[in-house]
Formats: sequence, C-alpha cells, structure tokens
Amino acid sequence: QTKWDLPTPYPDGNFHTKNIVQFAEDVKAATGGSLQITVHANQSLIKHPDIKNAVRSGTVPAGELLVSRLANESPIYEVDSVPFLASSYDAAKKLYAAQKPILEKKLGEQGLMLLFSVAWPPQGIFAKQELNTLADLKGVKFRAYSKSTERVAQLAGMVPVQIEASDIATAFATGRVGAMITSPSTGTDSKVWDFLSHYYDTQAWLPRNMVIVNKAAFDKLSDAEKQAVREAAKKAEERGWEMSAIETKEKTDLLAKNGIKVTAPSDDMKKGFAEIGATMTAEWEKAAGEDGKAILDAYRN
Amino acid sequence: MRAALDRLYSLSLWLAGLCLVAIAVLVGLQVGARLLDSALRTLGLEQTGFIVPSLAEIGGFLLAAASFLALGASLKAGSHIRVTMLLALVGEARRRPMELFALGVSALASGYGTWYTAKLALDSWTFNEKSYGIVPVPLVIPQASLAIGLAILTIAILDELHETAVRGRPSFRSAEDAIAVGKEA
Amino acid sequence: MDAVTLASLLIVVLFLVLGTGTWIALALGIVAYAGMVIAVSAPPGQVLATSVWGAATSWDLTALPMFIWMGEILYRTRLSQDMFSGLAPWMRALPGRLLHVNVVGCTIFAAVSGSSAATCATIGRISLPELKKRGYDERLAIGTLAGGGTLGLLIPPSLIMIVYGAATEQSIARLFIAGIVPGIIVAGLFMAYVGGWALLNPGRMPEREPSMPLRERLAAGWRLIPVILLILGVIGSIYGGFASATEAAVVGVALSLVMSRAMGTLDWASFRDGLLGATRTSCMIAFILAGAAFLTTAMGFTGIPRALAEWIGAMNLSPWQLLLALTLFYMVLGCFLDGISMVVLTTAVIMPLVQAAGFDLIWFGIYIVIVVEMAQITPPVGFNLYVLQGMTGRSIFRIGLYALPFFLILAIVVALLAIFPDLALWLPRTMLEAG
Ligand code: NA
Ligand code: NA
Repeated sequence: QTKWDLPTPYPDGNFHTKNIVQFAEDVKAATGGSLQITVHANQSLIKHPDIKNAVRSGTVPAGELLVSRLANESPIYEVDSVPFLASSYDAAKKLYAAQKPILEKKLGEQGLMLLFSVAWPPQGIFAKQELNTLADLKGVKFRAYSKSTERVAQLAGMVPVQIEASDIATAFATGRVGAMITSPSTGTDSKVWDFLSHYYDTQAWLPRNMVIVNKAAFDKLSDAEKQAVREAAKKAEERGWEMSAIETKEKTDLLAKNGIKVTAPSDDMKKGFAEIGATMTAEWEKAAGEDGKAILDAYRN
Repeated sequence: MRAALDRLYSLSLWLAGLCLVAIAVLVGLQVGARLLDSALRTLGLEQTGFIVPSLAEIGGFLLAAASFLALGASLKAGSHIRVTMLLALVGEARRRPMELFALGVSALASGYGTWYTAKLALDSWTFNEKSYGIVPVPLVIPQASLAIGLAILTIAILDELHETAVRGRPSFRSAEDAIAVGKEA
Repeated sequence: MDAVTLASLLIVVLFLVLGTGTWIALALGIVAYAGMVIAVSAPPGQVLATSVWGAATSWDLTALPMFIWMGEILYRTRLSQDMFSGLAPWMRALPGRLLHVNVVGCTIFAAVSGSSAATCATIGRISLPELKKRGYDERLAIGTLAGGGTLGLLIPPSLIMIVYGAATEQSIARLFIAGIVPGIIVAGLFMAYVGGWALLNPGRMPEREPSMPLRERLAAGWRLIPVILLILGVIGSIYGGFASATEAAVVGVALSLVMSRAMGTLDWASFRDGLLGATRTSCMIAFILAGAAFLTTAMGFTGIPRALAEWIGAMNLSPWQLLLALTLFYMVLGCFLDGISMVVLTTAVIMPLVQAAGFDLIWFGIYIVIVVEMAQITPPVGFNLYVLQGMTGRSIFRIGLYALPFFLILAIVVALLAIFPDLALWLPRTMLEAG
C-alpha cells in the first residue's frame, strides 16, 4: 500500500480543493485502496510558494499550485494570465491545449509531471466606486501582486499598490486600495461586500491551477496504479472545468445577492482593455521567445 | 581562535541587526510615500504612486536572515531559552554531565538543520529558483542565510561544549542566571 | 501505531528533551524529527528545511521584531517612568493601582498589534522594570502581562483571525469587529481580578503613593502626553490608511526614535544596544517559531491532530457536548502546538462538525481565538511564556503558574460566549447590516 500526501494552497470549501478530494477518492476506489492520497488543504502542510519545490525535491509526491506562480522562472508559466488574450472558457481551454506540450516539457526538466490543470473563473475588477470609462480608472489605487498585474495598472493609468491577500479587507476599509482584479470565487470567499461595492465582469483572463507529481514517485507505482491515477486525473480535469463554469455563475449571482453592483464593462472600457491586452500579449511573446511564439501560433489556429 | 570566534558572532549579529534596519527603512519608505501621496492628493496635485516593489516578499527574506544570522550570538548571550529547572535541581556536580549532554544533542540537531537548509539553498541554486513577486529574487540568497546562520549556531554550541568540558560551565550561564527584570547590563 | 499512542510517546520525548536543558526550539525540532522517523515515510530533513524556510519568511511576522525594537528603544527613554508617574496619582484609589497598567497597556497596544507575543514583549519591556522598582508583586505583574498579551489576538487587528477567516471562508472584517466586545470583557475581567486580588492581599501591595491635590495631579498627567501621542500615531497610521497592521510596527519604531531623540536619550550607544537587544530577542522567538513550524508540519504528516479531531467527530455529541469536548481538545492541543498551527491543522475536520451542530462560524472564530489565547500561556509551548522567560529569567512552568488565574478567566469568557453568543455577534450585526 502506498500513501501520498498532496498539499494544496486553498481552503476545503474551494471548488479546486473539492475536485482534488474527489480525485483522491477516485484513485482510492480504482486501486482498491492500494494508493491512498491525503489532501492537505489551505497550506496546512506546505505553504503555496514552496509547493512546487517540495514536489520537485520529493518532500511530498504531489501537490497543487497556481501555474502562474512560476512566472519568474519562465514566462511560459504565465501565458494563462496574459490579460485579454483568452477571456472565455473555450478560449482558455484552447490556450491550455496550446501551452500543454511546452508546459509538460518545462516541468519535465525538473522531474515533474503534470496530472491535470483547471481554470479559475474569469478575472473581473472589484472596486469601491463606479468605473464607467477607462478615464475613471486613472489614479485609482489598484492591487498589484505580480509583474503582470503591475503592468496592467500602469497601462490603464492606475496607481499600483501592493496588498497581501490577508490584508485585503483592512486595505479596502482604510482606503489603501480602491480596486483589485480577481475571480468572483475569491471575491465571495473573502466576503467583499463587507468592504467594497462594484464588480465589473471584465473576463480579463482565466488563471489555472495545476496538480503536479514527482516523476520518480510516480514511477514507483505499479502499472495498474499509474493507469488509475491517469484516468482519475483525466476525469478530474473534465469535472474541474465544469465545476469552474458553474462556480462562475453561482458566485457572480452570490455577489449580486449580497448587494454588490454587478455589471459588464462599458464599450469604452472594453476597447481600452483590448488595447492593453494587445500590448501585453506582444510583450509576453517577446519575453517568451520561440516557445512563446509556438504557443501563440498553436492557440491562434 | 577565541578572538576569531567572537568576531564571527559579533559580525553575524550586526548583519542580522542591519537586516532589521533594512526592513524598517523599506517599510518606512513605503509609508512615507503614502503620506506624501495623500498630501499631494489633498492639494490636488499629481501623486507619485511610488511603491517599494516586492516589499512583503523581501521583508520576509530580510526577516529570515535577521532571525538566523543572530542565532550564534544570541546563544552566547544567553538569550535563547530552555528549561533549566531540572539542571538547577540536580546540583552543580551532576549538572555538568547534563549540560554536556544537552549541548551534544543540540549540536547534533543544529548540525542536521544546517545540512538540510544548505541542501535546500543548493537545490534552489541548481534549479535557478526565483521568488514569485514583482522582483524575481533568486531564492538561493535568502535560503543561504538560513544555512549560514545555523552553521554559526552549530559552531557556537560546539564552542560552549568545549567551554563546559574545560571550565565546567557554559559561558552563557552567568547571563542566563542574571537575567532578571531591570538587572541586565 | 495509533494516534493516541504516538502522541503520548512524542509528549514523553518532548518532556525528556526539554528536561535535559536542550533549547526549546531544538527540542521541538527533535520531537518533530522523532515523529517523522517513527510514523512517516517523507524525508524528515527536507521537511525540516521546507517548513523552517516557510515559517521564517513570513511577512506578517516582521511586525514582531519591529515591536520588540520599539519596546527596546522606549525602555531606554524616560517614557515608562513618566507614564507611571503620570498615572500613579490617578490610580491611587483603584484597588490594584498601577498593576492595571499592564492590562490597560496591553488592551490599547492590542489595537495596534495582531500578535500576542509582540503585545506581551512591547508592554512588558516598558512596564515590568517600573512595576518592580515600585515594589509591586512580581507574580501578579508577570501574570497580568502573560494574560494581557493574549488580547493582541482578540482585539483587531489579529493574525489568528486572518488565518481562521481564510481557512473557513469567513469575513475577516466581521471577525475583527466581533472580537471587540469579548476583548473588552476579557480586559474588564482581568482588571476585576487584579482589583480583587489587591483587596484580598493588602500586605503584598506596595505603599500607597502620596495623595495629591487636583492641580498637581493634572500637572503629573501632562507627562502622559508622549505615550498618548505615540499610541495615537501608530493606531492612526493604520486607520488613516497610511500603513498596514504589519507596517504600523515600523511607524512605532520611527516615532519611538523621534521621542527618544526629543527626550535626549538617543545616542549611538543606546541605539546600538536597543537594536542588538531587539535582534537577539526576536531571534530567540523566531527560532522557536521555526522549531514549532517543523513540529506542525510533522504533525500534519503524522495526521495526529486530524485523527484526534475525527475521534471527537465519531462520538456523535450534542452541540453542547461537542463544544465542551472541543474546548478540552484545544486546551490539551494548545499545550503542545502554537495557536495558528492548531487552527490550520484541525479546521478541515472540525469545521464540518461545528457547522452541522448549527454554530455560527463567526461566533466559532471568536471562540477559537479565546481558546488559542489560553494556549499562549500554557507550558511547554506558549509564546507569551517564552517572551516572559526571556525577559525575567523565570522558567516557563513558573510563569505558566502565575498566568493560571488569567487562563481560568479566559475559560470563563468561553463559557459566557457559549451562553450569550451575541457578545460576539451583536456588534458585527449592527455595524455591517444596518447600513
Ligand atoms: Na490585535
Ligand atoms: Na501552550
């Protein structure tokens, strides 16, 4: 009997976690209990920044993380977070298919294997005030947590500010930040109606999480177990994307139900964002070199 | 030897202190910029929008360096705490072998930690791992501070082991015994 | 090996290693290592490195050395003498007199700091020497500090509430507001205890300060201005939107340096001694946190907390029995794990039980914060005890004894909270749902 520990960054109630717990149960059932995966949610075993390294070094055999957290290692990891490049589930799926071979190659260089990858709901703008035109964004304090969110702020004329996830509520309440971009999931999970009022469904990008496994640990499994893991992973990926779409609808409704003003962005804003998207796609392509070009070519065909 | 060791502890303590000063300066810059921007906004002027990039991440790295680089000096100063009730109870004659045992066990534990944090840093270097935020910091740098700090701690424990074997009591003993409210130097 | 046997074995190892005089941080690490080797196939050395690294680089933790530094700077000024001389004529008639400074100081400081150890360390550095000089009972002085420091967690901002809110998807804003009334009640009961103790033990109180006419009292009160300005400055930087709760600690350092300069106590020697003293003290705490982090991760791998929580779940208790069982469970766990670890390791199993029993999760958050406060002052793993041992040289077990009355008061507040849930829920309801 083999026991695996699988650390994840998000809490038990999150749909990614639920999906992974189901994956673990599927594996257990398919192997007749010979492979048991314990999911450790909410960074309780390993902190998010260290999960990739922990899997790579074999400290844990498998783990989940946000793909774009690895952006500073290679731009390949952040193609899902290039703003307005792929802003629907269909487009995000297509982009994932285009990225997958190169993503697997990159992970393979570190002895890692991709099991499955599931998108978050599309990213929208949460704000304390009405934002009707691109001009309204000027001077708004916008939460930047990575290079690309900082760049979005710059291009839209906003003021980037750095706010840690744990500090978001206080920062909005005391006025250190005025707007942020995240998914309706994260928005409802952090009960944004307690401190802000508007949501703009900009569908800027659909970031993905991935579940990775240490290749050496995987190779130690029997053929039947390997097969069970692969099949459960395939099912988890399909199920996860469906859960994500349902999550988008449910959580957006929940925002509205709790008094957040949910609106589609104005045409002016859409146009402005499209331009920002084009600029940032070009910048990303330049940074990502040949692999980047290959991904974009595959995506656009 | 004695002088070289003492210089090592003092140097690493100063480095640790400077890391704390660096945190204060970086955060101070950020808070200062916010104050300035708020003043500019009130006056209807253009804001600077200045941020200290990756402040939280770099602050965390500096904290780790500050905490670990100070380990050896803190041991020598008797700042690290332990339960000495039993040691005080058994009397001076039996205390010495117990002290030697505790120091031996501690040296092993600290050496073990040194080895594996060094391995962590080395791996990060091999795989060229970077931090996540706006500034891509090579993780080997802050991780090395852990390994170096623990190495100095191991040296300090061995130093005390030697002191205790030769003189019968660790050199931090007087500091440990003397710490009382308002009485420290 | 089942969870209970393994847990008992590890507790024996912990007491053995601690008993020989091994440093606490290393002792925790040794227990973690033993647990990993006995029960887990994961590589212990790598788990050590990953967990220590993860714990050592916490941004929120940077507030701790900054507040400790602030305490060291202020300790080298006239601030605490001034504060005590200013307060003494006013507190003369109040049973317990200046001992209340610890509780009130911690309560006010808790509005600035999200951590219990930082509150304890900062206020302790300022008040303990002065209380001792004035002849107050040391046991009560240390006990009030240990207990009062825990208010750092209940009065917003609070690190543990942020961790709980993220783990259970509850509103952090609501949790913060919900902590205010229970925080004030705890502070009030602490003060009532101090007053009652003073009335019952007049022989152990120092001589009463001479009485003063009102004009002189007002003049003495003038000496409180610096400390009031300092506190307003730090709180103001948070609520004015200039600093996060973490960053506010640096505002405290800056203001303390300015104050020290203005009082003429800032020179190179005092700056150096303050900085290096703070470096050593925060190193001591961070080192124990690192050892505790390895222990926490090892516990996660062994599955002990999860198994114990599942065991409680399997008992099919009524809501009241469940609450009682959980309180006992967290009290025992609290002796061996730090508060944040307790929350992250058990929420996965405990929360479904709590929800099924019909408890409000905001209410439960406040309940768990108070139980975690109790854990801060029970040996052998309790960070307020470490801070105070570092400061006074008394052993953590002895300090735990001094803190026992305050532990019991917290237990009473837990009971009050269970009987009157609105103590926690009324304020967030009125503040957030009226508008
Ligand atoms: Na607080
Ligand atoms: Na405890």
